[in-house]
Amino acid sequence: MECEEKSILLSDVANGKRVKVCKVNAGVEAKRRLANLGLVPGVEICKKQSAPLHGPVEIEVRGSILALGRGIAINIHVVPGRD
Amino acid sequence: MACCDAGKKSKPCDAQLDGVHAINVALAGNANVGKSVIFTQLTGVSQTIGNWPGKTVEKKEGYLTFKGYKFNIVDLPGIYSLSTYSLEEIVSRQYIVSDDVDVIINVIDASNLERNLFFTIQLLGLEIPVVLAVNQMDILRKRGMELDLEKLEAALGVPAIPVVAVHGRGVHELLEEVIQMERDGTFQRHKISTDGFLHHDQAEAVVISSGCAEDTTSTTVATVDPRPLKERYISPDRSDLLSYGKEVERRVANLTETISRLIATNGTIALPYPVRFIAEKLLEDDQEIVPVVKAVKEGGAIIEQATVARAELEELHGEDISTIISAEIYTKIHGLVSGVLKIKPLGKQQRKRASLVDALDHLTTHSFWGYVILGLILYGTYTFTFTIGDLLGGWLDGFYKTWSEAVYGLYGDANPVVLILWNGAMGGFIGALGGVLVYVVPFFVMIEILQDSGYLPRAAFMLDRFMHVLGVHGKAIIPMILGFGCNVPACAGCRIMETYREKKIAIALSSLIPCAAVLVVVMGLVGRYLGAGWVAFLFAINFGVVIGVGRLLNKVMPGQCTELIMEMHEYRKPNTAVILKQTWARTKEFVFKSVPIIVAIGVAMEVMLMYRLLDPLNIVLSPVTVAWLGLPLVTGIFLIYGILRKELTLVLLEVLAASMGLTIGDILTPLQMLVFCMVTMLYVPCFTTIIVMAREAGWRYAMKIAGLKIGIALAIAGALHWIAVWVMLL
Repeated sequence: MECEEKSILLSDVANGKRVKVCKVNAGVEAKRRLANLGLVPGVEICKKQSAPLHGPVEIEVRGSILALGRGIAINIHVVPGRD
Repeated sequence: MACCDAGKKSKPCDAQLDGVHAINVALAGNANVGKSVIFTQLTGVSQTIGNWPGKTVEKKEGYLTFKGYKFNIVDLPGIYSLSTYSLEEIVSRQYIVSDDVDVIINVIDASNLERNLFFTIQLLGLEIPVVLAVNQMDILRKRGMELDLEKLEAALGVPAIPVVAVHGRGVHELLEEVIQMERDGTFQRHKISTDGFLHHDQAEAVVISSGCAEDTTSTTVATVDPRPLKERYISPDRSDLLSYGKEVERRVANLTETISRLIATNGTIALPYPVRFIAEKLLEDDQEIVPVVKAVKEGGAIIEQATVARAELEELHGEDISTIISAEIYTKIHGLVSGVLKIKPLGKQQRKRASLVDALDHLTTHSFWGYVILGLILYGTYTFTFTIGDLLGGWLDGFYKTWSEAVYGLYGDANPVVLILWNGAMGGFIGALGGVLVYVVPFFVMIEILQDSGYLPRAAFMLDRFMHVLGVHGKAIIPMILGFGCNVPACAGCRIMETYREKKIAIALSSLIPCAAVLVVVMGLVGRYLGAGWVAFLFAINFGVVIGVGRLLNKVMPGQCTELIMEMHEYRKPNTAVILKQTWARTKEFVFKSVPIIVAIGVAMEVMLMYRLLDPLNIVLSPVTVAWLGLPLVTGIFLIYGILRKELTLVLLEVLAASMGLTIGDILTPLQMLVFCMVTMLYVPCFTTIIVMAREAGWRYAMKIAGLKIGIALAIAGALHWIAVWVMLL
């Protein structure tokens, strides 16, 4: 899926917003794990919460809740989904 | 016969026993889907926890007899895929295709279908008989959703049994289904098909009606469909479900064909997997399969073909192969799920429940309240542990003292037999129960509650940022919290870390956490004589050391700190049976493995004390204990015993003081108490912890950490002593 120009980073998404993943930049293993958990380009996710002090991000993807470290969240590009 | 009697250690039953067939079942599925609950429901107390041979992956086994059949059941680790990302995945994959398995019960969470079916689809690729245990049907309903099991069965071509594991509903129906499969002969080893798609050889004999999906009668919980299994479930072929989009499929099919041709000309490839599975995994550059194929004559050409195919696909999609393939499977599943899952508007009650669960999640991960709650929960856990522990420990102590007087009165207190049997063996036994077990058990009960309810992953989420300071991600907090109870399960618990590097760091940090026994020493010595302020002082230094060691290891170990990727399952009510059985499973190891050692050591110690065999060691250690740390000469040997069990340091001090008619306050100065406690806290992990560390990360590493800790302990405790001496001189 192509990332449009208005894509933003998952870490910058406001809590409670639904977004669509368009690009995942991560190491091979991290990418594989994310993909196995259903986090692949094109999937719609919901950003639920951010831990303080640049902590991890909590998202909902395909009905399950995942915690992603900040280092991963800043490498996931998303575009706004339907609210 | 006796082989499967309850109460005996579980041993795999012989295939043929009393003319009854034993069926080997493996439970497989994602983590946190209720696999362990089903396992517990089925096997009860027969379960044993061990390791997979040569691997540091936990193997849970159990057995039961049901309707005249014997079942050996293995609970595989919770995994999300069958790649080779983790040791758990490799172990599971190899076990599933081995001859030790007749059937897989794939446990899936109905309330989280897409991700669970991702694993199911991969499992089907291994062409082994599968029964689907669709768990948490009640939660699904509460969320206002309805699952059409018949359609699911028809689409996947496997029986699907509705289960509510926590209430034991549907659990035995799973076995009935398995029995039916056994009667139908589904378990005969099927030859692996050459075109790669599922063609059970037994399916050839069956004429499959075209309307298979429609006239499948509903499999209610109570009854099992009497019709032959094959007719019901093995759909003509699952190629549609298991195939990919055009580009990927063409390459997988080509590879499958090439491999089949190779097998036809070259004999076999020494891999137990179906050909199509091998083809897919070659495309994914699988670390187990690629080297095996490469080693085969002309295998190099296949690898070449796979590499080219992979490059083409990655070029075409602009993604790496794992993403491409996962995305295709998920797309397929998404279609499947929308066909079988009906969503109804939520009722008032259901809305209330959903918002409650959501609110709880929100609150416990809140940037302020989350930490308040975390603090309260940890405080509550320790209060609970020590209230119960002190109560039971005091009771056991009183019991031992009363009986000691009686025993001494009867046989005299200088009788060597009495000393060895009563003081040594019985004293060691009571010490193990009253000094450690009474704290460890309530602590584990609390931890299991936190784990089962879903809180621990939230704690990991909240502390991830802090844990990065230590060079690991948030998940490491889970074993570290365990460490406050006992370092032994904590070090073993570090298996949840994904990479070897992080596991090693987490093990080192866990071994530095003051365990219940250390806490007993610190409270009994510094807490009692010097007050809580000094206890806090010692703990602050200890945590400082944890941070320091974390940073140090992170610097010296090659590689980088990986990021957190962790599932946080929805909050749920903890299940009492699971908590009690899990606690027992953890405790069992201590009771049966450590207590005998402790009793033996108690006896040995008593003998050595009697004949003063170890006194020369005090002299050997004196440059360190007396000259550097400023401790009394006799403490040297106490610290040696402390390696066996940390609380012995305090117990022996008490014994010594009592033998002179004094209290510890009379024989140690306040400074000596501080120094002694500091050394006890830091100097080495206890003997059992060292063994577990070695098992998990190798002897070299365990010794390195032990050495590092001794160095740190001597440096800090010595500094404490000399600074105090210097201050006093001023």
